[in-house]
Amino acid sequence: MPSTTTSAERLTASDRPGVAQPVPERHVPNRAWPRVLLGAVIVAATLIGAWEWHWRAYGAVPGILDNEGLWAMQRRRIDTGEGSRTVLIGSSRTFFDVQLPVWEKLSGQRPIQLGLIGTSPISVLEDLAEDPKFTGQLLIGVAPDLFFSGYQFKAGMPRYFHRESPSQRVGQYLSMRFVEPYVAFLDGDYALFTVIERQAWPERPGRPTHLHVRKLSVTEADRNNYMWSKVETDPEYAALARKIWAQNFGGPAPTTAEIAAHHAAVDKEIDRAAAAVAKLRARGVAVIFVREPSAGDYLADEDKGFPRATSWEPLLAKTGAPGIHFQDYPEMQHYDIPEWSHLSHASALQYTTDLYRILERDHPLPDGRRW
Amino acid sequence: MVFNTLTFVVFFALVLAIHALPLGWTTRKINLLIASYLFYAAWNPPFILLLWISTIVDWYAAQGLVKAERPAARRAWMLLSVVANLGMLLYFKYGAFLLQNFAALMAALGIPYHPPTVDIVLPVGISFYTFATMSYTLDIYLRRALPARNFLDYALFVTFFPHLVAGPIMRPTELVPQFEIPRRASARQLCFGLGLMTVGLFNKVVLADTFLSGAAEQVFDRGKLPGMLDAWAGTLAFSGQIFCDFAGYSTTAIGAALCLGFAMPDNFRFPYAAIGFSDFWRRWHITLSAWLRDYLYIPLGGNRYGAARTNVALMTTMLLGGLWHGANWTFVVWGGLHGTYLVAERAIRSRFSGVRPGPLALVAIGLLTYALVDVTWVFFRAKDFTTAWHVITGMFGGNGGAKPILSTVFLVSVATIVPSIVGVHWYMRNRTLESVLARAPLPLIAVLWGLLAFAIVIAQGTGSSFIYFQF
Repeated sequence: MPSTTTSAERLTASDRPGVAQPVPERHVPNRAWPRVLLGAVIVAATLIGAWEWHWRAYGAVPGILDNEGLWAMQRRRIDTGEGSRTVLIGSSRTFFDVQLPVWEKLSGQRPIQLGLIGTSPISVLEDLAEDPKFTGQLLIGVAPDLFFSGYQFKAGMPRYFHRESPSQRVGQYLSMRFVEPYVAFLDGDYALFTVIERQAWPERPGRPTHLHVRKLSVTEADRNNYMWSKVETDPEYAALARKIWAQNFGGPAPTTAEIAAHHAAVDKEIDRAAAAVAKLRARGVAVIFVREPSAGDYLADEDKGFPRATSWEPLLAKTGAPGIHFQDYPEMQHYDIPEWSHLSHASALQYTTDLYRILERDHPLPDGRRW
Repeated sequence: MVFNTLTFVVFFALVLAIHALPLGWTTRKINLLIASYLFYAAWNPPFILLLWISTIVDWYAAQGLVKAERPAARRAWMLLSVVANLGMLLYFKYGAFLLQNFAALMAALGIPYHPPTVDIVLPVGISFYTFATMSYTLDIYLRRALPARNFLDYALFVTFFPHLVAGPIMRPTELVPQFEIPRRASARQLCFGLGLMTVGLFNKVVLADTFLSGAAEQVFDRGKLPGMLDAWAGTLAFSGQIFCDFAGYSTTAIGAALCLGFAMPDNFRFPYAAIGFSDFWRRWHITLSAWLRDYLYIPLGGNRYGAARTNVALMTTMLLGGLWHGANWTFVVWGGLHGTYLVAERAIRSRFSGVRPGPLALVAIGLLTYALVDVTWVFFRAKDFTTAWHVITGMFGGNGGAKPILSTVFLVSVATIVPSIVGVHWYMRNRTLESVLARAPLPLIAVLWGLLAFAIVIAQGTGSSFIYFQF
């Protein structure tokens, strides 16, 4: 059987064994490439323009991308002279519900927002506990299904921060300065594969369908974040968001072994939090836990899976830190929570004012410090 | 810095602009050298030191080689280069792996040993630039090449940013002569280079990252037992992903070099249309396989000393080639499988030397080659043997009752893209991209180019690293 011949059009190193390889051939076909490039640029620009127009018509607005680079920028502030500030950590409720401009008006300083969507804050808490430059005030948002399960949709953020390369930092700056403020389609929901994936594909028998969380908010350059107006004004979109949360509710009754494992998991997360809080309080950091508002079926599911008596109360007891549970305050009972989990923009503005007043009234800080 | 980021776009635009300035050739080379160091430092500045060590050791080793008269002295200079480069590679790439395996061996012998926990950062591109600098001293040792006339040309050969972190692994005789003559890209070269970069980035950002990596990740990384459809879909997805990612990188690198007026060699030649495994290795990662052939396989005897020694040389080369890819026994098994295939192919060729397969038979052999290559990709992709075994048994129907993993959209993506890649490879197996573009209608090329660029933008890639950066 003969060996197969390879392309005779251009030889490569594979065709010249055991010799010094010559300067490669790289002939450019003799065609009007500048004109072709111009044509390609026109085609690309037209298509990109049409894509942008389509998503703006849908309701998309330009916003800063909430990515690792943006989070790292805020985290870096602690290590570059702002370690005495108030820092907010938690899941998406902390991220959506606390409005930085309102807090700044009330306290005189703008807090650092390190909340992460779909992610337990305990890894970030542990990272801050190990950072001697952080000496300020820490508000820890508690969304029970994330905090007490340790689930991390955005895992590895502290690690990214510590290992971020100069190239990644430059890229973050360039994108925030020159691209993100002007382009509405720059959002994970409008990425090519996501758009294709969300078409009505027939499902495979035996494979449960799972809808992914949709765009729910708009982010600003310092990670001030608030609910996207479409969630508030489009009832179908809000209903879809509720349907997506509801995928995680219910399920078959747990076995005894599963219940024991669940309690062990909750205890483990509480122990992690306690160890980190102890380190922080030892160096004078003021720490407070906040259970942010939720509503409807989401609240019911949280109460069932993580009852207050076996999660929130032991957390406060073991850490020795104070806590604000939204159910304990009459002023926190009337917010608009369109998809059961996050406050509308208007309600978030009010909530921030209410929360800050409760902090100053019920948990004042010594030595003239402010939250 | 990776090609598929905004940082690189701005960096490259600046490099092009500065390179086009009416400056002297030496000044322009110095600019390229500084730009290349910045390119590398943008990942992790202190590791520039390793680049310098490799550059300087091999420069002086080559000088020593040329001046030495006695064979023992020449060999000593050559070994200095090899030991320095392989030493760096051994420490940074295989240090933790060697420690773990030593501990496992001690445990197997009943000797208590607790290795220290080490967290060694793998310098990006170390596997590539150490091989490039070693080829400089080795070619001089083998009297195939003369040293570069000046240190600037040599240093630029080592650090030239298009090929610095993931190849193509160039030989000094391919690149140093290009630095000796002033050159500037013509408008045609610049435009064509940008076209190649678009094709490369489309392969990486759209095909590999957007459409194929997800399916591979769900099958290989989620710990679920795959049925036959999922196992094949995940493996085929990875076969497409690894090709599009790596060939995409090489094409982008070749395009970037062309934009600056330099020529880099082909690194892939439509490997999924290979007929047999010798053919596959003449088409896949050409510069690495040629490097291993020239500096390992041939010095081990090549095919000059009979079948037995040839087979030993082949297996040794492929096993070490597998290990080059990463500090994990799965890569060694990947290399070992390819070595086994090559040995078996030699035996079959020898047995059936008078047979001339017809066109259909050649296609069948080609498809069989691709299928067997896919089996090896399982070991390349899997993080451990348990995962590899689960996928292999799934591929051959051994995981009856496994629940479906991939959704319809992933299956459709794989079923559309991977056969298209294989089909394109078969069409192109004896052609070059340039020869096809020389004849295609210009409006069609412009529209396709625009579509590729549009797809890259709306894919919204995250600037993820190329797979071969981890090697």
